[in-house]
Amino acid sequence: MKKSIVSLFMLVLVLVLSACGGSSEDQTSEDPQADSGETAEDTRVIEHEMGETEITGQPEKVVALEFSFVDNLASLGVSPVGIADDDDSERIIEPIREKIGDYTSVGTRKQPSLEVISSLQPDLIIADMKRHKDIYDQLSDIAPTIILPSLAADYEGIISSFETVSKAMGMEEKGDEVLADHEAKMEELRAQVPEDEERTVLPAVVADSGYFAHNMESYTGSLLESIGLKNAIQSGDERYNKINLEQVVEFNPDVMFHMVAGDQTVVDEWESNDLYQNISAVENGEVHEVDRNMWSRFRGLISSEKILEDAINYLYEE
Amino acid sequence: MSLKKMHPMTIIISLTLLVLLGAFLSIGVGAVWIPPGSIFNYFVGVDAGGSGYIIENFRLPRIIMSLLVGAGLGISGAVLQGIIRNPLASPDVIGITKGAGFAAVAVIILFPSLPVIGLPIAAFIGAGLVTIGLYIFAFKRGVQPATLALVGIALGAICQAGIQFLTVKFPLETNAALVWLTGSLWGKDWTDVWMLLPWIVIVVPITFFLAPKLDVLSLGDDVAEGLGEPVRKARLLLLIIAVILAGASVAVVGTLGFVGLIAPHIARQLVGNKHIYLLPVSALTGTLLLMVADNLGRGLFPPTEVPAGIFTAVIGAPYFLFLLRKMQKS
Amino acid sequence: MQHLSEQSSVVKYKMVLIFLLGILVLIASFIASLSIGAYAISFADVLKLLFSPDEGKAASIIHTIRLPRALVGIIVGACLAIAGGIMQAITNNPLASPQVFGVNAGASLMVVAGVVLFPGLGSSTLVYFAFLGAAVGGAIVYSLSSTGGGMTPVKLALAGITVHLFLSSLIEGIVLFHETSTEDVLFWLAGGIDGRNWADVRLMIPWSLTGLIGALFLGKGLTILGLGDDVARGLGQKIGWIRASSAILVILLAGISVAVAGPIGFIGLIIPNIVRKLMGSDYRLVLPLSAVFGAALLTISDVLSRFISFPAESPVGIVTALLGAPFFLYLASKGGRAA
Repeated sequence: MKKSIVSLFMLVLVLVLSACGGSSEDQTSEDPQADSGETAEDTRVIEHEMGETEITGQPEKVVALEFSFVDNLASLGVSPVGIADDDDSERIIEPIREKIGDYTSVGTRKQPSLEVISSLQPDLIIADMKRHKDIYDQLSDIAPTIILPSLAADYEGIISSFETVSKAMGMEEKGDEVLADHEAKMEELRAQVPEDEERTVLPAVVADSGYFAHNMESYTGSLLESIGLKNAIQSGDERYNKINLEQVVEFNPDVMFHMVAGDQTVVDEWESNDLYQNISAVENGEVHEVDRNMWSRFRGLISSEKILEDAINYLYEE
Repeated sequence: MSLKKMHPMTIIISLTLLVLLGAFLSIGVGAVWIPPGSIFNYFVGVDAGGSGYIIENFRLPRIIMSLLVGAGLGISGAVLQGIIRNPLASPDVIGITKGAGFAAVAVIILFPSLPVIGLPIAAFIGAGLVTIGLYIFAFKRGVQPATLALVGIALGAICQAGIQFLTVKFPLETNAALVWLTGSLWGKDWTDVWMLLPWIVIVVPITFFLAPKLDVLSLGDDVAEGLGEPVRKARLLLLIIAVILAGASVAVVGTLGFVGLIAPHIARQLVGNKHIYLLPVSALTGTLLLMVADNLGRGLFPPTEVPAGIFTAVIGAPYFLFLLRKMQKS
Repeated sequence: MQHLSEQSSVVKYKMVLIFLLGILVLIASFIASLSIGAYAISFADVLKLLFSPDEGKAASIIHTIRLPRALVGIIVGACLAIAGGIMQAITNNPLASPQVFGVNAGASLMVVAGVVLFPGLGSSTLVYFAFLGAAVGGAIVYSLSSTGGGMTPVKLALAGITVHLFLSSLIEGIVLFHETSTEDVLFWLAGGIDGRNWADVRLMIPWSLTGLIGALFLGKGLTILGLGDDVARGLGQKIGWIRASSAILVILLAGISVAVAGPIGFIGLIIPNIVRKLMGSDYRLVLPLSAVFGAALLTISDVLSRFISFPAESPVGIVTALLGAPFFLYLASKGGRAA
């Protein structure tokens, strides 16, 4: 009896084994990178966080697994076929949603659906270093994939990601144009900030669970610094810090940009406290509620311009 | 209850058929639904287009992973419950999975540039270290089942505290570990299958040969020794086996909980306490449980993927309450 | 006879000494908690401003931010330690504690569910969710661990941790679905007291005072219960009544703590064990001393938590876990019997 059970199990396992043995062999021969490209003239090698990827021609169907890449593509005039939008199209900020039109959601940024991505048959996938490093192999098997920093990047990192994306798209010239336009725009915005601007700013996500301040190295913080708006937090190991009222008082920002998440937030509670009322920004009426999707989730060229427009609008044109 | 009157072999064979049927049906389930026709085409070698690619690269490896992991965790749980002589023992509770989790998170932070393969290796080593700690601390008291369980829980708590500390201290760096910490079959491919397969294929049959030892151990140390069984040695051997099965499974799919707790219980309802039947049936029920959880995670809110670990808890908790009522009645 | 009374006077002397020591540690940690923070206030100023607040910023920070936070810490620490002490007395089991008994996780799950399902609910209503959750979690673990011939430390720990893991996974699932932020998950799994204000203190006071006073009255009964059910019955104790009121007190004490601070672990496990080691098993002494030392331990942990990733805040539950888990290991390696 014992033996029969054991042998039955071995049988099942052998079946399973042979089944997967067969398919994994096919897999290697289907590798798109192995048999593509050598001859075509416009084949280029893109260097990125996980190594080098060969891309041939101009990709038409692109899947973006972070919002900043959606922004990059939209800047180039490309509409991605698939976006990891956390299954909520509202998270794509209005100006970009208008540009890119329809797309297919591939699920959450944390765990995008590989099945949906492959069903879109893309010819380029752009993914984030922190979130998608572990599935790089699977993504590469579906289509040429480049992995760039987004989640952990500051403004400069975002710009260099954009350059890589335009190279990968085979649109380097267009990319340079866009970047030149962007820089001109940024210069124009920068010009609106007076030389002697000394006010400190504090961008933060405010939620019911806490006040998450973005310091000078964060994307939003570094962006604002780039036009001469000094961040109130010039320290800290982490770019995003959960802080309490006491620390806000200590940093005493002159301007606060609140990216509001949820109906109730800690700030509602703080408003009844004199300490909060005495923070420079509150005293001067410089607390501004801004769109969290645009200010913190998007991290791209278009959103950078919009953020600065927002900020300058609030600071100088009221 | 009528199930108990059936011959255990009949149950094993019908469960095996059920698993195979379930595996076949699972192929169609996911963010992209695949009709049975295309599945059939794929298996007979007709080109199934994009569906073929999905079946081959995503569905099959995931389903096979759920077979391997479900079997590994199910048997590991049954063995642990046997040596600790308590139906509430499981790899999650006695610290094995937490140890793997702590090691994985620590490695992600200390060596951020480590290749992807490093994570499961670190996790496996973590599970091993916890076991060594377990043995050292429990050894003083003669490796009593009670001490094993308590020390395991304590080591698990220490690892859990470590995981929480690291996630707070390095939030951005641990982002990559979060998916892994909830336990998920998402993103598993053939490489993962090949990594896990040898452990399961080699170790699972060994457990079947050791089944009689578990039966003897469950009679209590005195009786077991009276029957000529070297209790401590047997217990150590079985513990190592349970850790290898759970450690290898968890290393690949992350800290996926409750399969190792619940599968042996369902198995016990079906075939009773004799381990030669209990072990294979635990493997089969573990497999079924994980397959269902992963199908729900894939197919319920497409294209959003829900970690299978959450569904094993959602399915497991009500069953646990049912079990409680039953234990009270008897 | 004389010998006996002499011994008891030694015990009394020792008790007073330990009690004073506890109060001293508590006061020291309390002042540390008021002094340490992002906004620099000198030690002397803290003491001065505490009793004679002026209009300045420092006084405001002490009185509206640090003081309520420190008080919440003291109350939560005391409540959890007393709850742990009562549980250990009733079950005659050193591993019993709000966390190991599933009470914390049960309360936490109900509060999270309440927040998600009924977003408009105020915290005074959520307290009742916490009580319900605490009761259900505790009841499940109690019935699981007392089946099949009495509750042993192993059975309790296995049942408790299993239920704890189940409930924690469900919490994780709910929080992940509701809002994808990791910080939320961490708070609801570890517990913290940063940003707590006077409203929280006011919310806690009636419930925790009820629990505290009840615990003082229960001390005698619990001590006699420790001699065994028969002895206790012979001495005229109503065992059923003691057990029932203990259960209610534990639910109140642990429930209110979780409602305000989340499931902070290990305080209820460590403190009563240490106090019993110092004082013996007279619960008339153990419970009040546990309250003092529990309050001190949580306050110290809260101070430590501010250094984990300064200037950001970290949940205090992480510190208590880092301190408490090794202690758990110590108890466990003794087979869960000693100490």
